[in-house]
Amino acid sequence: MIPFRTRRRLALAITAVAVVLLVLGNGWIRERLGHASYYSGGTLLGCLVLLILLGLRKRLVMLPLGSVSTWVQIHLYTGLFALAAYALHVPRILANGIFEGGLSLLFLGVSLSGLYGWFVSRSAPRKLTAVAGDYRLERVGWDRQRIADAAAKLCKRLDASLASNVLADYYSNALQPYFATRPPLAYLAVPNGIRRRRLLSNLNNLDRYLSDETRGLAGQLAALVRTRDELDFHFALQLRLRLWVVVHSMLSVALLVWSCAHVLLVLNFI
Amino acid sequence: MTDADVNWLRTRSPFAAMREATFTSAMPLQGILRNDCRIRRCQSGEIVVREGDYGNSAFLVLSGSVRVSLDHLPPEHLGRKPPPRMRWRDAVAQLWNRPRVAEARGPEAVTPDATTRIETVDDRQAIFLQDFPAALAHRRTLAMGPGELFGEVAAMYRSPQTATVIAEGEATLVEIRWQGLRLLRRDKNFADQLERHYRAHWLVAHLRETPLLRFLPEDAVARLAEATELRSFGRMEWNAEFQRNRKLPAAEQIRQEPLIAAEGTPPTDLVLVRAGFARVSHHHGAGDRTTAYLGKGHLFGLAEIAANARRSPEAAPIPLQHSLRAIGFVDTLHLPVEVVAEHLLPYVRQSELPPLSLPAHSAATVQPSASVPSSDRRAVPRDKPGEASGPLPKHQLPKHQLPKHQLPNSKRPDSKRPASKSGELSTGMLEFLVQERLTNGRQALVIDLHRCTRCDDCVRACATTHGGNPRMARSGPRHDRLQFAEACMHCVDPVCMIGCPTGAIVRDEASGTVYISEPICIGCGGCAAACPYDHIQMVEIRDLRGRGYRDEATGLPILKATKCDLCQSQPSGPACQAACPHDALVRIDLSEPGPLDAWLGRRAG
Repeated sequence: MIPFRTRRRLALAITAVAVVLLVLGNGWIRERLGHASYYSGGTLLGCLVLLILLGLRKRLVMLPLGSVSTWVQIHLYTGLFALAAYALHVPRILANGIFEGGLSLLFLGVSLSGLYGWFVSRSAPRKLTAVAGDYRLERVGWDRQRIADAAAKLCKRLDASLASNVLADYYSNALQPYFATRPPLAYLAVPNGIRRRRLLSNLNNLDRYLSDETRGLAGQLAALVRTRDELDFHFALQLRLRLWVVVHSMLSVALLVWSCAHVLLVLNFI
Repeated sequence: MTDADVNWLRTRSPFAAMREATFTSAMPLQGILRNDCRIRRCQSGEIVVREGDYGNSAFLVLSGSVRVSLDHLPPEHLGRKPPPRMRWRDAVAQLWNRPRVAEARGPEAVTPDATTRIETVDDRQAIFLQDFPAALAHRRTLAMGPGELFGEVAAMYRSPQTATVIAEGEATLVEIRWQGLRLLRRDKNFADQLERHYRAHWLVAHLRETPLLRFLPEDAVARLAEATELRSFGRMEWNAEFQRNRKLPAAEQIRQEPLIAAEGTPPTDLVLVRAGFARVSHHHGAGDRTTAYLGKGHLFGLAEIAANARRSPEAAPIPLQHSLRAIGFVDTLHLPVEVVAEHLLPYVRQSELPPLSLPAHSAATVQPSASVPSSDRRAVPRDKPGEASGPLPKHQLPKHQLPKHQLPNSKRPDSKRPASKSGELSTGMLEFLVQERLTNGRQALVIDLHRCTRCDDCVRACATTHGGNPRMARSGPRHDRLQFAEACMHCVDPVCMIGCPTGAIVRDEASGTVYISEPICIGCGGCAAACPYDHIQMVEIRDLRGRGYRDEATGLPILKATKCDLCQSQPSGPACQAACPHDALVRIDLSEPGPLDAWLGRRAG
């Protein structure tokens, strides 16, 4: 088994060699007054087809076509190579005209989403592992309800004493809405501990108004707040990982279709 | 058994010759016969034991006769045809031919095919070989008559049956559970008979399986076999108390494990693990720290014995540097040190001898776990299936000497690594693996949580290849960055296979995969209850239109046991592993730490 580090270096070296060969080939054609853009464009289209095949491979898991992880590695470095091919094919960041400009934008969108995906798929798992709990995205709603029910059950144990009223008020005003609702979009975009800290701090501030018995309940509520925050963190990161795949896939399909249209137009006006 | 049955048995050999005084008052002979034996009447053609099964009983023929097939019977004759590998076309068709309901089966999965039949005999379900005279016509067989015992080695030493035994005409047998068999060994004649049989037929084969003994001449092996002592430690039914023990702190668990050899004592025997697992630990502070675990074929005490054999006469002998304890149950072979020095060491290459490490001379000195290399105990690798093992390659071994349950692995990540480089897992990880008994797993599903994006592609792939119902769950015990997911581990010690009444749960000899032959699974749930990891589920099956199958006699829904079968019918092999996009998931052999260590080492960068 090749260590990941060696594999990464090897793949980068192969990609670099391929880029050099592409540049040399492009220069050679240009020197011979040939259509270098056909060469770079054809390479780019070939790369796009190869890149899109990953989606197909992921669906055909029952066939011995190499592991999906191997395909992902090929996908990553082909993507890097495609960026170089794009730079040769479109010597500016954005091509001229609405049609080609749109195509350029789409390509850059796919590339950026791909690079982001590379980063997030390597960084998010560590963050998820570091936070307690093992939640599945499909069951987050059920988990959320379970926590809310547990909190409601705790509050039913509060009696009619004054100390209990303080905690009951705080539950109905701050904690109950927190447990009952989904995390806000801002939290999903940038998960943070602000809400958890605020709620726990306020709960802590109530401490001096509580009796020994209600203090114990407050502690259990604080534990539920932490659990809910961990659940929200898992939800935010897992949602990000899923959404990224969806966005990248949709942009990729659109790019392939647009690229084919571009090729047809080029061939039509040749 | 009734009193009349017990009294009748007491008139038959060998029970007639047993003296009551040999047995304790707490465990009298009558009690053993009543509680651990039963009379089993077999009809013509009934399969009593199947080759490859893990039995927990021995059988004594009382009347009639049984026939032992000395040749390998095709699995389909035993009703358990392994699923054929799909063609690509059929494999792809699973994408759109998925049944509309979960656990849908065609009629062929509910009833056995024409070569076998299941019938109720007395109060149990029995499987019959159709037209068994014809099935055995061109095979070598052996008839066994009244007074003869079979299946005792498999029952006593937790190993698979090596032959299929079929009732020839009507036969009456006494089935003796392994617990009873052990208790009956109090009778000297009976114990001698068992030991003679084991030494004559099995011991040499077991010694020969050890790579270290591969250069020994026949007479040296014979001398070793003669001097070898057989011992067992721990409880064979370890799975029964596993759920309680796994919750104990590591220190408490270590304290409860039976001691096989104690650190600091002079080595008197070379210990060879024959079955089960053992923990190697050494004192650290007020407790013990795990440095390795040993499995079948591993040796303990060799470094000390070799060092003592080489030492100068004036030097003090080196005591054992580690303790050896039984995890669950362990069967060991003890080779006396004098015999080892005389008949074994002269034939062992210097390079094969493990270096002696002298750990923690002072209790006050805290050493990192890496400074006590667990590889000391493992310098001699176990036989790797498929590799030649010295002058007597496996393919030249007679069939009865082949290690039946030493089966090939589909993946051996460290096969190229020297064994001395493996086994560097942290103490915490080693203790976790032992505590959770994950050391039993030959194909454990391990997820690297630092790379897993929780995309569930593995679960979806599993569902795709199993009619929409996954045979794994992405949950399970976690340690550090690893999660040991809930999927059958195709264990070294497959307790689920013990006592399956029809032999429906079986290990494929070629691949080592434990699978369930659904047509002959009677849904008793024995395997699901026995699996200590809860990796077998009982499901109600339906036809392709969603109607539940029901038993004609009782009207009850038909249940089948389901578990991971490593996608053995799929062209791809395990779909979960193939589908992981991030190299986060692997099917790995945990019966020794090397593969896991290598796998973790690969992702260090």
